[in-house]
Amino acid sequence: MNPNHPQKHIITYSTPSPGAATSSVTGGDVTEKGKNMWDEEDAGVDELLAMLGYKVKSADMVDVAQKIEHLEGVLGNDDELSQIASDSVHYNPSDLNSWLESMICELNPSPEPPMIDDSFMNATLPDSELQAIAGNAIYPPLKKLKPNCSSSSSASASASSTYNPNPNNLNQNQVVLVDSQENGIRLVHTLMACAEAVQQENFQLAESLVKQAGMLAVSQAGAMRKVATCFVEALARRIYRLSPPTPQDPPAFSDLLQMHFYETCPYLKFAHFTANQAILEAFAGKKKVHVIDFGMKQGMQWPALMQALALRPGGPPTFRLTGIGPPSGDNTDHLQEVGWKLAQLAETVHVKFEFRGFIAGSLADLEPAMFDLRTDEVLAVNSVFELHQLLARPGAIEKVLSAVKEMKPELLTVVEQEANHNGLNFLERFTESLHYYSTLFDSLESSGTGSGGLDGGGILPVTNQDKFMSEVYLGKQICNVVACEGTDRVERHETLTQWKIRLDSAGFEAVHLGSNAFKQASMLLALFAGGDGYRVEEDNGCLMLGWHTRPLITTSAWKIR
Amino acid sequence: MAGSNEINANEAKKVVPLHTWILISNFKLAYNMLRRPDGTFNRELAEFLDRKVLANTVPVDGVYSFDVVDRATSLLNRIYRCAPRESESGRQLGAGIIELEKPLSSTEIVPVIIFFHGGSFTHSSANSAIYDTFCRRLAGLVHGVVVSVNYRRSPEHRFPSAYEDGWETLKWVHSRSWLLSGKDSKVHVYLAGDSSGGNIAHHVAHRAAVSGVEVLGNILLHPLFGGEERTESERKLDGKYFVKLQDRDWYWRAFLPEGETRDHPACNIFGPRGSSLEGLNFPKSLVVVAGLDLVQDWQLSYVEGLQRSGQDVKLLFLKKATIGFYFLPNNEHFYTLMEEMKNFIKSGVC
Repeated sequence: MNPNHPQKHIITYSTPSPGAATSSVTGGDVTEKGKNMWDEEDAGVDELLAMLGYKVKSADMVDVAQKIEHLEGVLGNDDELSQIASDSVHYNPSDLNSWLESMICELNPSPEPPMIDDSFMNATLPDSELQAIAGNAIYPPLKKLKPNCSSSSSASASASSTYNPNPNNLNQNQVVLVDSQENGIRLVHTLMACAEAVQQENFQLAESLVKQAGMLAVSQAGAMRKVATCFVEALARRIYRLSPPTPQDPPAFSDLLQMHFYETCPYLKFAHFTANQAILEAFAGKKKVHVIDFGMKQGMQWPALMQALALRPGGPPTFRLTGIGPPSGDNTDHLQEVGWKLAQLAETVHVKFEFRGFIAGSLADLEPAMFDLRTDEVLAVNSVFELHQLLARPGAIEKVLSAVKEMKPELLTVVEQEANHNGLNFLERFTESLHYYSTLFDSLESSGTGSGGLDGGGILPVTNQDKFMSEVYLGKQICNVVACEGTDRVERHETLTQWKIRLDSAGFEAVHLGSNAFKQASMLLALFAGGDGYRVEEDNGCLMLGWHTRPLITTSAWKIR
Repeated sequence: MAGSNEINANEAKKVVPLHTWILISNFKLAYNMLRRPDGTFNRELAEFLDRKVLANTVPVDGVYSFDVVDRATSLLNRIYRCAPRESESGRQLGAGIIELEKPLSSTEIVPVIIFFHGGSFTHSSANSAIYDTFCRRLAGLVHGVVVSVNYRRSPEHRFPSAYEDGWETLKWVHSRSWLLSGKDSKVHVYLAGDSSGGNIAHHVAHRAAVSGVEVLGNILLHPLFGGEERTESERKLDGKYFVKLQDRDWYWRAFLPEGETRDHPACNIFGPRGSSLEGLNFPKSLVVVAGLDLVQDWQLSYVEGLQRSGQDVKLLFLKKATIGFYFLPNNEHFYTLMEEMKNFIKSGVC
């Protein structure tokens, strides 16, 4: 570790309060050798292979070599077996030992069970954009791990920390430039200089720079212009101390903005899809299921899950959904409206359904006892873009994770933005978010109006309004990251690496999403992504959706250790 | 069958360090699963298995990287640059600021190497961990810039897609004001590639020579060539050191236009359908051949072909090396290669 390397300290906003578990708080501070949580888990990992993306303990090297040799012997000249290996589900390829182990188990000669009938997979229901791509989630591969094999997936879940071959990933800055941005580079420099001035509290300089940036911004075109304008506005709000720093929107409006974002680009669809895949797998074979959605909004995630449950062989389970939402401020109970629509859908697909809405100002206000948890039910807790908001208040995230644990869910699904917008250093935060949102806006740019998804499939085209509202949606996030502080700053995004540390210390371990979910997500992208460039990536059992080489959101699944 | 695989595994184990054996064998195992007998390719599983790395504008070992996308073609290049030795304009790079306004240098010559990753035209990407690592090393080695091309791959995109992407990148590189260097203020371009990347580098260089676009040198690391005829090295080494001839055949079938043979000029450079390079302003070449690579006879006849055409070529023959020896710095061939590449570039620069 180069001691001269600029270090980024990942320290959570909250300080440990008396009585709180001394768990999550300081994570990944790499200057403290040996105290780093990673060091413990990564101890004895072979460095040469680590550089190339593989995590193999030095002590396991010979074992790994033997496994490879064994598999070569088994698969070497056998096309059929190779095909079977290819079609089976793979998990976490970085953990070579487990990956090889699971293949060995998979391929142990045994009478082959009949192939799965997938003709149901393309069933659609009216008024729904998302096809129920049920696939292996409902119909798990019939080949199970042989009982005498070590439980490789759970072993690998605990063995693999969130691993990144870049040893400096806590101090990392990923930039994807789109061609024309060479002209915009002066604008970027000006924005950075302005942020630097703000950090140094040189507000006179900052004022002059933000004006310059504003003028440069309007001379740009496309995504560069839009994202720069958002950052200029956010900087201006901070410099001129506008109060409140960002306007408070009624939840109905925020929901509306998010819906347009949902229509415009595949990020939310990906999030819902991958989370649902994990939930379906967790619910396999269960007769009574309960989902608690931490951010109900318009309930866009649930019709697809309901359809998938409806199509299960042996019939759907009883499906209970508890949706949490913020107070609406205008006395309408919009949660009930959403619940009612879902109930109507449930009736058309013949799923026994129950809905309950909870209004809460913060997730930290919730107690397990409120949820009427039933012992004969399997529970999944789902959080899409909700957890990061808790980082704005001391102790909140710990409280919520602790409450989740108490509820004993089978699964906790988490979708979060893949970025660190929660660093203590303003300039770093600014830089990170500038690059993150630039990439996001670039991807929106390629979701052309009127082209929407691919031809056929009855997919609604992306309208100008969708695009515009998506930009407003993202612009508000930018404003919050840049112009707000303290409890107002709720867009405290953190990376998978950081979330892993928190969840680990709260007593959760990762449930790996496999190549089947990856493949289906890729297929979904091909259907719904308006533009080229969207990519799904696997990272230590979690799935990320990004634009070209930059991951932008991550779906992960967790269970109690 | 299984027996001969075991013997071959032991052969390979004798000549490479354990890490290398594991790395290359792991790829071989995975790749076997991805190629289907009917010529299709399990692309989703391939992307799932491939270990990728993010670019990073924060310098690591003195080298930083960022990606550039051409919106019209979706072609992506990853750029590697050396962090300046003294900070320019008082600002430390690492705050995500990329220098795209000034040339690389107005006094010194800074080499720009366009790199084409290997993978038999089918596997890997510019952001694959093995290639990101290699490109970083290369950039640091020559104190220059490396542009790693994320070219379109087969079987989804056959000949000549990869060559076209290479050509577009060459033109793009030549037109970047921020890649200029030297008192003569031009972009000092080299082409490099391993395996299929070496093949691409040759073809792009050929087109450049014909079109009058300057390329100062080619570095081909066990480049992928072939032909219909079976050579002695192919017979002798088939299946011995990680590679089977039938796999090579599969990749050619996936890359070449359907129905074509391996005597297609993309594959068999100096074969019956190849064109002469005589009289062309073809760049000087450094061709590296691994002595345990079954393709070596084709690579050696490529070298001879260049010589016959009156072109400047240096052969680096590494007798005991297998394919992929340059992925890990754990063997002497690696260091020999680094030294040779450094000298090759340097001699062009002075």
